[in-house]
Amino acid sequence: MITVAVVDDDRMLLDGLRSWLAGVARLRLLAAVTTVDALLDGPGHGADVVLLDLVLRDASAPEDNVRRLRAAGSRVLVISTVADRARIVAAVAAGADGYLTKDHDLDSLVAAVETVAEGGTAHSPELAFAWAHDACPDRPRLAPRERQVLLDYASGLTLKATARRARISPNTAKYYLDQVKEKYRRAGRPAYTKTDLARRVREDGLDG
Amino acid sequence: MSGGSGLQRAQQFMILATGLYRASHLTVGVVSVARHTPGAPAAWGILATAVAVSLTLYGTARAGGWFGRRWVWCDVLVTGCALPWAAWWALGGPAVYQNGWLMLLGGSASSAAAVGLGIRGAAASAVLLLATSLAVHVVVAGSRSAELVGHLNAVLSSTVMAWVFWWYLRRQGALLDAAQSQAVTAEAARARQAERMAHHAALHDTVLATLTTIAAGRVDANAAPVRERCAREAAYLRRLVQQEDGAPQRPGVPAPGAAATAVGAALEAAVRSAECLGLRVAAQYHALPVVPREVAGALEAAVCEALNNVRTHAGTGEAFLTAAGGGDGALTVTVVDRGAGFDPAAADGSGGTGLRRSVHARMAAIGGAAGVESAPGEGTRVELRWPA
Repeated sequence: MITVAVVDDDRMLLDGLRSWLAGVARLRLLAAVTTVDALLDGPGHGADVVLLDLVLRDASAPEDNVRRLRAAGSRVLVISTVADRARIVAAVAAGADGYLTKDHDLDSLVAAVETVAEGGTAHSPELAFAWAHDACPDRPRLAPRERQVLLDYASGLTLKATARRARISPNTAKYYLDQVKEKYRRAGRPAYTKTDLARRVREDGLDG
Repeated sequence: MSGGSGLQRAQQFMILATGLYRASHLTVGVVSVARHTPGAPAAWGILATAVAVSLTLYGTARAGGWFGRRWVWCDVLVTGCALPWAAWWALGGPAVYQNGWLMLLGGSASSAAAVGLGIRGAAASAVLLLATSLAVHVVVAGSRSAELVGHLNAVLSSTVMAWVFWWYLRRQGALLDAAQSQAVTAEAARARQAERMAHHAALHDTVLATLTTIAAGRVDANAAPVRERCAREAAYLRRLVQQEDGAPQRPGVPAPGAAATAVGAALEAAVRSAECLGLRVAAQYHALPVVPREVAGALEAAVCEALNNVRTHAGTGEAFLTAAGGGDGALTVTVVDRGAGFDPAAADGSGGTGLRRSVHARMAAIGGAAGVESAPGEGTRVELRWPA
């Protein structure tokens, strides 16, 4: 039995997930709340896996959210409606163990939660695409093989087809993807560029 | 002299002009040696040396796009300064009279130096060449002063004229480049605007129409077809946001005169037409370049073709589309599915031959390339590249 909690500020999605997960015997939903604070103060504290919406309306930074949830002993699977690539890369570098867009079906979601709960990484073409086309100047250096596997997986190929293309075993292909995550973890990255912050200020109406 | 930037064209022209100048001097040399000293191996040897140095200088300049400094110096020192003394030593005074073919070479050496060495190098080599002429005149008995003045004048004016031509062409080239890049930027902005208009029209026809209908209470929002339609339009909005979010679209390399267009709208059109036929398409874009209109058209058709193939043959309801621009205006598009796949080696024509032929033809027509890969049970991957 895997305990799960959800942080998302879309009430409709929270209700949807609640009814979805109620039908899955292997998962138990502890809490479905709208902020990380609410999660850490409630029954969701320490859930095995937290589904975390990438961008919350309380203006919290995704990587801070990830770090606080990790500190509370949870693994984090990031979800979002739009694949905002710079933030996805930052959230995974900060300790999240995977990324999914919200339009996946229940089976893929459950599979990803199980992978993360076992200590693995829930890879997705969107995450691979974000890594493959990361233009951040301080991004880690990737080996040509890692880059090829990343690009092929990002293009939508299955892990098996990605591996066949690179003439390696699926396990090795998976290892390369995990390696990329490790490199980003080690590189750790500054949360936001100045433009991001400026945009944030504008969005929040803080500049009057 | 067909391609490249304005600066490159100016360089190609100066290499050609100074090369022709040198060729005219060598022609005089060949005629002169054949007429006056056809039996002297030393004369032929000196001529051969001058030809070899010239060929090296202009051969390397043509291959590398511009003069190599050391070869220009080599030409000045060997052809302009050393050969006259060698000729004087081997053949005697008349070989190095100031109006003879050997001294003429100094003039073409100074013109190459004027464009290939910068202003200081040009001045230094002009001084060297003038000093050589003067010294030869003083040492060689029977050299006439009037010819010396004429020759010194020729060397000096070759230097100055070559330098002025080069300065003028380089300036024109730079102006041309600036104008060209401005035109490309303006064209890219126009293409962006056109794409935005296309998106607005699409939003109006899809999302806005659906929301208005639901809001008016005319349909059951929970009915399966309505939900499908909503999912499709949500996917469209998602991609739209992602496109706007990504790196700004960079101008690619539109052919001169060809109307350029942002490629995103063309890909979206292909995706939407596949979605309307019930295929889910997960699309991701990165740094899409601006491309000539016919390139966008061919890409749209090829992507349509590939998505149609997924819909009819793959036995899966989902396809993946990625499109990413390279730094140099190049574009790579992939259409991938995780469906049935096929054996590319199958001889009975079931091996995706039709697909391969049609995308190949479309991409080849615009100077691009296509690849189709598959294996039974492992889906199919179509890659489109432009330029090839």
